[in-house]
Parts: sequence; C-alpha cells; structure tokens
Amino acid sequence: MDDKHNPSPKRRREDDGENDDTPPRKRSASGSPSAASPSYRLAERPATRYHREDSGDYRERRSPTPIARPRSRSRSRSRSNSSRSRSHSPSRHHNGSPSQPPPPRKPSTLHYEPLLLLRGHTKGISCVKFSPDGNWIAAASADCTITLWSVPDGRLEHTLAGHLAGINALAWSPDSKILASASDDKSIRLWDISTGLAHPKAFIGHHNYVYSIAFSPKGNMLVSGSYDEAVFLWDVRAARIMRSLPAHSDPIGGVDFVRDGTLIVSCANDGLIRVWDTATGQCLRTLVHEDNAPVTSVRFSPNGKYILAWTLDSCIRLWNYIEGKGRCVKTYQGHLNEKYSLSGAFGTYGGEPPNQYAFVASGSEDGSIFLWDVSSKNVLQKLEGHKGTILSVDTHPTQHLIVSGGLDKTVRVWRCKEPSVVEEGVPNGTGEPEMNGNGLPPELPPYPFG
Amino acid sequence: MNLSLVDPFVLAQDCPEVITGRLREWTLWLIVESGSGHSTSIRFSHRGDLLASGRHDGIVVIFDIETNGVARKLRGHTRQIQSLSWSTNDRYLLSAGQDWKVVLWDLQDGSRVRTVRFEAGIFIAELHPKNNNLFVAALFEDQPVLVDISSETPVKYSFASAPLRTQTERDSATEKQAVQDAKVVTTFTAFTHSGDHIIAGTNKGWLNIVDTSTREITYSTRLTNHIIVYIRLTPSGRDVVINASDRVVRTLRLPDLSDPKLNFETLQLEVEHKFQDLVQKLSWNHVSFSPTGEYVTASTWMNHHIYVWERGQGSLVKILEGTKEELSAVEWHPFRPFIAAVGVDSGRIWLWSILQPQRWSALAPDFVEVEENHEYVEQEDEFDIQPLEEIHKRRLDQEDEEVDVLTVEPVKMATEVDGGDIGFRMPVLLDVEASDSEDEVVAVGAGQYRRRTDREWVNDDEVADTMGNGSATQNGTKRRRGG
Repeated sequence: MDDKHNPSPKRRREDDGENDDTPPRKRSASGSPSAASPSYRLAERPATRYHREDSGDYRERRSPTPIARPRSRSRSRSRSNSSRSRSHSPSRHHNGSPSQPPPPRKPSTLHYEPLLLLRGHTKGISCVKFSPDGNWIAAASADCTITLWSVPDGRLEHTLAGHLAGINALAWSPDSKILASASDDKSIRLWDISTGLAHPKAFIGHHNYVYSIAFSPKGNMLVSGSYDEAVFLWDVRAARIMRSLPAHSDPIGGVDFVRDGTLIVSCANDGLIRVWDTATGQCLRTLVHEDNAPVTSVRFSPNGKYILAWTLDSCIRLWNYIEGKGRCVKTYQGHLNEKYSLSGAFGTYGGEPPNQYAFVASGSEDGSIFLWDVSSKNVLQKLEGHKGTILSVDTHPTQHLIVSGGLDKTVRVWRCKEPSVVEEGVPNGTGEPEMNGNGLPPELPPYPFG
Repeated sequence: MNLSLVDPFVLAQDCPEVITGRLREWTLWLIVESGSGHSTSIRFSHRGDLLASGRHDGIVVIFDIETNGVARKLRGHTRQIQSLSWSTNDRYLLSAGQDWKVVLWDLQDGSRVRTVRFEAGIFIAELHPKNNNLFVAALFEDQPVLVDISSETPVKYSFASAPLRTQTERDSATEKQAVQDAKVVTTFTAFTHSGDHIIAGTNKGWLNIVDTSTREITYSTRLTNHIIVYIRLTPSGRDVVINASDRVVRTLRLPDLSDPKLNFETLQLEVEHKFQDLVQKLSWNHVSFSPTGEYVTASTWMNHHIYVWERGQGSLVKILEGTKEELSAVEWHPFRPFIAAVGVDSGRIWLWSILQPQRWSALAPDFVEVEENHEYVEQEDEFDIQPLEEIHKRRLDQEDEEVDVLTVEPVKMATEVDGGDIGFRMPVLLDVEASDSEDEVVAVGAGQYRRRTDREWVNDDEVADTMGNGSATQNGTKRRRGG
C-alpha cells in the first residue's frame, strides 16, 4: 500500500479515500449495519478516533509501538466489558471479574474498511478470487479479460486476454500457479499466471455458456457447470471430459468440490442442489427447498460438512447435507438477490480456533456487502461502497481481507481493522487508543492477542 | 467425505466384483500392436491415488487413478521394468529394469535422483520404508545387496543367501550340504514394516530373515523345496504371502520382529494356509494381499482368472474374470476394494471394483424406496391451512442451532488426502500427453475416442499455429509448448 500515491501509468487505480466520493468513510457508516449502529457507537466510542486518522494515511499505523498486553490489564478488561455490555445485555454488567479474565466474548460486529480500489475493467466484474496462497486477486469481467492483482499492494500484474466472450467464473489451482476461467464463449481456459499466457488447449465441450468451475483439491480435476444443463468433470492434464453428470433440467448455476475432493455439489435454476460422488459419478443427495427458487451459486463450508446456497428469493441457505435427507439449518437474509447470480464466501473472525468464528460474506443487488455470523445469522457488518450489484465476494485464505467486484466495474479490497471487537474494546479502557493494538503494522499475523 | 453419504451396504463390501474399467495410455495402442511397450509391472502408491506402471520398453508411467489418465512419464530405462517400489511419502519411486539398472525417481519434477548399475539382472529392488536412501535388491545368480544411495556413488553391501544352520546342523554338516548351501541364491527380498529386517526368499525354498543393520541372517526356515518367486507383506507387516514355483501360495504370520524380547533361536514360523488348485494344478503368476490382509489374490498362469481366497477359513471366495487374456501382476488398492491387473498379451491394465447402483431416492428427495406397498396414513395437520408468513417465521426461528463450519474432523482413514498434513502432492503437468510424440488418439466427446490419422496431424498443427502460441517442432518430434 506504500505505492498507493504513485500509481504506475499502466493501471487506473485510485485510492478511495481520495477519489471516491461515496460516503462509507463517515463514522456513522464506517461498516456497521444501520440497525446496530447506535449500540455499536456506544461500545466503540474511543475507537472511532483512529478510524478517522486511519482514513488519512495507512503508513502512520505502522508505528512500532509495542502492543499492550490486554490480558494483564484486568481493570481495563472489566471496564471495557461493562461498556460493551450496555449495547446488548445489561445483565452482564458485572460479569467482568477483575481477578479472572473471562474468555473473549464472541464479537457482534466486524470492522472491515476499504483498503484498495482497483479499476481497469470496462464492463462489470463477474468474479473475484483470492489465490490459495493469498498473493493474488484474480478478477474476471464481462469485457472478456481477467486481471491479476498482487495482494499486499494492489499492483496490476497481468491482464489475461483471449476469451471471445464475457467471463463468468474463475478457479485457482491449489498450487496457485494456474488460473482457470469459464466464459460465455463455451470454453474453459487455463492460464499460467507466471507468464500470463493461456494454455494452448482450451477445454471445449460445453454447448453453451459455462457458468461455474471449481478445481479439485489436488488440481487434477476440474468441474464445470454450464447453461446447457450439463455438469462436466474434466481431466485437467489431458483437457478431456472424464465424466458428464446428468445433473439438472435447467441451467447450472454453481459447482464446487468438497475439501477432500470426494464430493461435488451442483445447483441449478430448477431449484435443486445435488451432491455427487466424484469417483462414481452418482448422485448421493438432492437438496430442495419447497419454494424451488432458482439456486444460482453453491459452496461447501471450509470443513465440508455444510453447503451454502444462494437463491433468487434473496436468501442464502446453509444446508446440512449429511443428516437425513438434507436439512436447511440456516437462512441468511437482509440482502437483495432477485436477478443476478451472486456468489460469496466463508470467512473467519475472532481469535485462534477455540474462539474462532465463521461468517458468510455475500454481495447484494443494492450495492452493499453483507457479513453474517454463521450461527446467529446476525449481520456483523454491511460494507458500503459499490455503486451497483456486487456479483462476487471472496475472503482471503489467511488474512482478514475481503475482495468484492460488481457491476460498477470496480474491484474493492476491504481489510478488517481489528482481530476482533472484544480485543478492540480492551485497550479503550486504557484511555490511550493510539498506543494500543490499533498501531499494529498490517503485516502482523491477524490474531495478535489470540 | 463421501463416506457418510454412500450406501453402507456398498461400503461393507470389501472384495471387488466386476471389471469396471481399464487403463490405457492413449498413446499405447499402436505400440501394443507392434508388440512392444506394454505394461509389465504395476504398483499403487501408498495413498492410493497413483498407480505406477512399468512398461516393456523401459518407460515408467504414473497413472492418476482418479482421472484414469497419465500423470507423468519417466524415461531412463532401456529394457523392461522388473519391479517398482514407492517411498512411504509417495514422492520417490524406485524402479528396477532388465537393463540391470535401478533408478530412484523424484516425482516432484520427474528427475532421476540416483541411478545404480549392477553386474547382474535384478529380480526385485525395494525401498526401505523409512529411509529413501536405502534399498535392497535380489540379483540374478548373485548375492543380494543392500544399497546405500545417500552419496553420489552408491555403496553396495551384499549379504548371504545360505540359510542359517543351527549348531547341531553345522556339526553334522557334510560336504554335500555345504556345496548345496553355496548354491542357494536369494530370489526375492522385501522389507518388513519397520524396515529393521529383510525377508528374503531363495531358490531352494528357504525363507531368511535378515537384520538390516548387521546384514546377518537371524532366522531361516525351509517352506518348500522349490523356488520362492514372490513375497508380499501386508501394510501392517505381520502377514506374509509367498508364491513358490510348486504351485502353492502360502501365507504366514510373523511375530513382531522388532520386539527386543523376540528370540530367533526358538522362533518357529508356521505356514498358516496353503492355497492351491488341486484340480487344474494351476500355477500362480503373481500374488498380493488385500489392504487388511484378509484376502489373498493370485493371477493364474495360462488362464484368464484371478483367484481370491479369504484367510479366516482359508477358502476360495471369488474368481475374478472378464478378460480375454492371461494376467500377470495383480495389485490391490491400498484401501479400496479395487484390484488392478496387467494383461500379458495386450499390456493393458484391467481394473476390478464394485459397481454402486444409483439410488433413485437420492435424485428425488420427496421419494422413498420402499420394499412393498404401504397404505398412506395422512398426518393430523397435513392439510391444515396456515398462513405462509407464519410458517416462514416459525421455520426461521427454529434455525437456532450452533453451526460449526470450520472444524475439520480428523480423518479416520489415513489414506484420505488432507489439505493440511499431506507430505507430498505431485504437481499436475498439463502437457504430459502432448509431450509424447506418439499421441495418436483424439478425444471426440465424452468418453469417445478415435484414432488420429496422419492427415489430422497436419491439420492440428495448422490450427495450433494459427492460434499463436500453439505448437512447435523440436528435434523432429512434435511438442506442445506449455503456454
């Protein structure tokens, strides 16, 4: 981000703090849902000070100030707890015991802030994806090109051109060396990201637009779903179709591989989500919601036990596909999704694994990004900034970063300011907000207090 | 992760039933017809996702079991591959050829780590299970050797083949016996599970247990008067199957050889089962164990069948058939009911597995598969009319459980690939097939192939050239540049 003020001529990227006139940086909208904002401001009152400072220059935040260990300050802990608890449950007011620091409570809000604004496409962005090693962002657009950006600084590395029609989906190979793209020109192409060249063998076989692709965890197979209602399983090495899954009676919306590669999930406009055995090609499960709303995108949870599905009734549903005949366990609502095929991702927040929580990130047709807590279904944050439908949202594999792209032709990168709200609340009690964890260099691991 | 969804009755089956496919290199057809280059020996990797196949022309081909495609080709031998051995982490492969060479391959980049030449033909070479720089080899009419390849120049330590005699036997030893002992040649060597001992079989039917560190024979027993052709241990290392030229397949149970309390003086190895075909007097080409050691398979000489015996009762449970040719090497998948066998005539690799029937209820969740007709009794509130919003709201309120989408349950089967702790993952090469100049089969659709004609070669080049970074002619062979 150091070079953010001296952009090279070959790219058009502007710092949103300077050139973006949308109001997301105002305190009242600095990333909290409107419904929760009063309580949020109460709890985080001192923290807003550096929010404002932050928007000026990120480099200032790299001050080498030693991080105050919050655990040792029991007094501040209890104060922060009490100030926080006012927001949701007054009964917890006296819970903060000075002698025994309680385990960090589950944060109720997140604080993602705009980090980068990447411009370069002439048409809407259909898909953004972080690479598995976290070093790259790939963005696909309806203007038939893919742009590759390096992650820490947002430098444009390659523009991949070669498709003859708009690109719908991207998939990274597990080793982050190959990028696959699915296009309206009915082909799937592989790109070598070190050279930016396309592999000479395109994957040709679909009879219509290819909507969605996913790599197997080993990178030896690729699954693709198309408007021609077919799901194909490809041998990546030979670029040939290994298997055709007799999937659906309507255009396929999304496909995904489970984390060990033994299952494939596909969804379609007929409202069905089907789970397939990769090895035999047999359907093992069909999930259907009674309204039969078209399912536009589907994704396995990080541990592979659940399936997250986007439907055109403005709902995102989390399915337990193992139990019984499959059961919808959560419905995430609040966003608008009636027309476009949106896609999103799972992300994490909180501390290290015992205190780690998951959120669901998705775009919306009203131009905001929603982050829901997976279990409580509460909106943790609503990110404003895009000026149109956000088609694709992805989360960084290790850092607390979110990338989004939409019909306003921009790609935005958002960064979470704090490892968690609880930790943020603690140093506030010290009365020295400049001296605490807010001065963390952004390169530090995301959980300094974990 | 699919195990929880698969029909438990299918999972309970542990023995393959029908031929489900065969592996071919698409490049192989012509070579098969001209009589060279077909597969001669195969070996599954420990994780079971790759199958190494040694060819008649000395090329080692790594197949990806998931895609049934070629993952890598290793060129270095000039004669038929005799044996193959994977390292425990599946990164290295040891191949022994009839060109009297043993090559250790690194599958990361397909390079040759070491090449060891011998002065004699090699029956078998096997890698030490824990040390990739050590292998044992049985040589034709020579003493077996333990080879240390940690340095550039390999160090060969030969050890004895003559069986260990007890003191009384040595005292009463005649000259004739000494001459006979001198003629004993080790025909097969295999490491035990821990690698502390070598199980060696000889041409006189002796089974020797050799200490790897001292290279001394610690125990000898005579199982038969005939040549021991093949020895195979289960992954646990406690069960041994031995194929001898007397047409009997023997299984033995080994004690824990690395147990310090074990006294080799008093050790008595008993043959557990003798499998043979008394009627036809079949001779066995190759034997192997199922992953748990529960089943023993053997391919038959001058016959098209694979016999499967079960070890609990020692009975023949199945005869796998379906090929029109004799089969040589037969191998079990390391954890699935899946058998691969090499056809002697065609050099093809045939696969047997279990056919899973598609369950129709999986396709239509509203339908249930019932054994017989039921009279449907409607529920009390089934046709009650309720406002939709009420239902929706109630349903949303019921979604109050805690959901854990992050915690990964420890995988029970050590063989499943886990994103975190896999040791080695072979890179996916995009130009394996294209880099082969003999590529003469074209995929024309899902599962359909046709042979490429000469004319098409030209066409393909023209097409590729017009595409810009397509193909180029290098060294007289057509080679695709990886874009």
